[in-house]
Amino acid sequence: MQRRMFGGLAAALAIGLMASTAMAQDMPRMGVVVKIGGIPWFNAMEVGIQEQGKELGWDAWMVGPTSADPALQVRAVEDLIAQGVDAIGVVPNDAEVLEPVLARAREQGIIVITHESPNQENVDWNFEMASLKGFGEAHAKLFAEAVGGEGEYALYVGSLTVPAHNAWADAAVAYLEANHPDMTLVADRFGVAESVDDSRSTALDLMRAHPELKGFLAFGSQGPIGAGRAVDERRKAGEIAVVGPFSPGQGQRLVHDGVISGGFMWNPMEAGRVFVTMADMLKKGEPIEDGTEIPGLGVVSPDAETHNIIVDALVTLNKDTVDELAGMGL
Amino acid sequence: MPEPHPHGAGRRWLPRSTEGWLVVVILVFGAFLGLATDTFLTFANIFDLLNISAFNAIMAVGLLVVLVAGGIDISFAVAASVVQYLTAVTVMQLGGGNWAIGLLLASAFGFMLGAINASLIYYFRIISIVVTIATFNIFFGLLMFFTRGRSIYDLPDWLLDRIIVFEFETPGGDFAFLTLPVVVMVAVVAATWLFLNRSSLGRQLYAMGDNAEGARRVGINIAAMHFLAYGWLGVCAGIGGLMQAHYVQEVVPNALYGRELDVLAAVVLGGARLGGGRGTILGALLGVTLVTMTQNGLNLMGVSPYAFQMVVGLVILVAITMSNLEGLEAFLRRFARPRRGQTGGKG
Repeated sequence: MQRRMFGGLAAALAIGLMASTAMAQDMPRMGVVVKIGGIPWFNAMEVGIQEQGKELGWDAWMVGPTSADPALQVRAVEDLIAQGVDAIGVVPNDAEVLEPVLARAREQGIIVITHESPNQENVDWNFEMASLKGFGEAHAKLFAEAVGGEGEYALYVGSLTVPAHNAWADAAVAYLEANHPDMTLVADRFGVAESVDDSRSTALDLMRAHPELKGFLAFGSQGPIGAGRAVDERRKAGEIAVVGPFSPGQGQRLVHDGVISGGFMWNPMEAGRVFVTMADMLKKGEPIEDGTEIPGLGVVSPDAETHNIIVDALVTLNKDTVDELAGMGL
Repeated sequence: MPEPHPHGAGRRWLPRSTEGWLVVVILVFGAFLGLATDTFLTFANIFDLLNISAFNAIMAVGLLVVLVAGGIDISFAVAASVVQYLTAVTVMQLGGGNWAIGLLLASAFGFMLGAINASLIYYFRIISIVVTIATFNIFFGLLMFFTRGRSIYDLPDWLLDRIIVFEFETPGGDFAFLTLPVVVMVAVVAATWLFLNRSSLGRQLYAMGDNAEGARRVGINIAAMHFLAYGWLGVCAGIGGLMQAHYVQEVVPNALYGRELDVLAAVVLGGARLGGGRGTILGALLGVTLVTMTQNGLNLMGVSPYAFQMVVGLVILVAITMSNLEGLEAFLRRFARPRRGQTGGKG
């Protein structure tokens, strides 16, 4: 009885495997290596990648390393090259570390697309759903409003080597220095915003060290959450502002409790779709040039020299929008 | 278990144990931070340190039990993540649950995962580091596979509501408070101390860690000892995991990934020997204290975050050098009586 059941199971598995490999052979394949697996942001991106893959007839999947380690990304890209995929997408942890392996991918005729890495070498295209300056300044404006344009503040980034986070932080600091000279940074930026625990304990320490602290500006998806938890613990909601991009489902409660003032984001699900859409266009040899319309990005004006396609497709996060976005599973 | 140490007998004013040296390092470092900042030595900050380090301390005493027994466990932090998920899902299936049910479930799931390690190590005679590196990957892999990396934000209210056990307003208008994880930490530490130092099972555990074959010959049940040690760590990991889910108010699959190294470093810093048979609760707690204190001190002093890792590394190195008695003795002896050739032999 048991043996028969196992036999049946094995047969079913074998048929299933054959079916899936047969299908996969006809389809172009794409792997997208993200910064780290298992966090809501990239879970949403994975949904976009898979949905658009189905839509356009690609076998597209996401690879999420277990920690935000550049070396793990290099290994993941190497694996994809060995598998002979048609296209590779990367959301880099460290642009430079990836350069050699991406060069190897392109030598083998693999399409390489990156996201959130505007200075990336060895890519077909890098796309941004927010310009670095636009995104940094949008947050800086909102933050200045939230703290009333004066006082001490602290700045988080995902890690000290994430190119995009640091560029946003640079733009935000530049904007605040120019427009709100009474706002002062209490220390160099903290590279803690990929971890809720680190963001929280750093925020607790900083509130202790700087009793006059007026706010946390946090770039990196876990930063506003961790800082928000700490502000909530100290019962400083309303006195200390928290601003930054975060995943709506995760931050929903903190926004409604008035701990997180708000932030901006782009839709990672949409970014996942764009990866596959662009790979499909490049695979078919469709030109991407000034005035080309790319679904999800709109009409673009790409910079052929730096391989950048930059648009500002910002979504506002606040009390009014967060529930709807969270409902989308973000 | 404090052991009489034969070294250093000549200098009575010097501490004679790793723990003693750590206390010195912590006091000196604490005094320095107290002078360098006006916030370090405040009730509010000391309470913060307790709140922040509760999780690591719970894990550390659990890990100490395994180290004392002569083993090692790499998998306990991801096991704690697995327990978080199992507990969260189970209490929601049960219609909400409460703290008693939550703690009971977390302990039970934790024990089960520890028992898996113990049975692999004992029945298949595989060394513990290999087994737990494997189960580390298996636990984490299964967790990612079944959860698809999804976090749980919609937890029952009892788990989300912050519980403040004790608080007072400081003269500066600040609030100093102790939270539930600190109480749980005290309970876990006390239980582990009683187990290791006041029960015959604890003595047997030290004996096994020191000399497994000898322990077997005098009739200690080695299998039971394995289940006890790894199960104990499992329970600590489960309870610690529940505390972490409580204070961050969410369950994220990879939130604890990598934390095992922080805890391991702290426990070894506290004098536990990786080969087994040696290590004390006090030492483990001092190790955790020093690591937490360093991070806190850097933030309070406003040291540039770019220099953080360097300073943490330096502090650990200094503490290890100071508390490594044999090494320190040899170093001092070399200074006192510089000789060429043989350096005194044994004795």
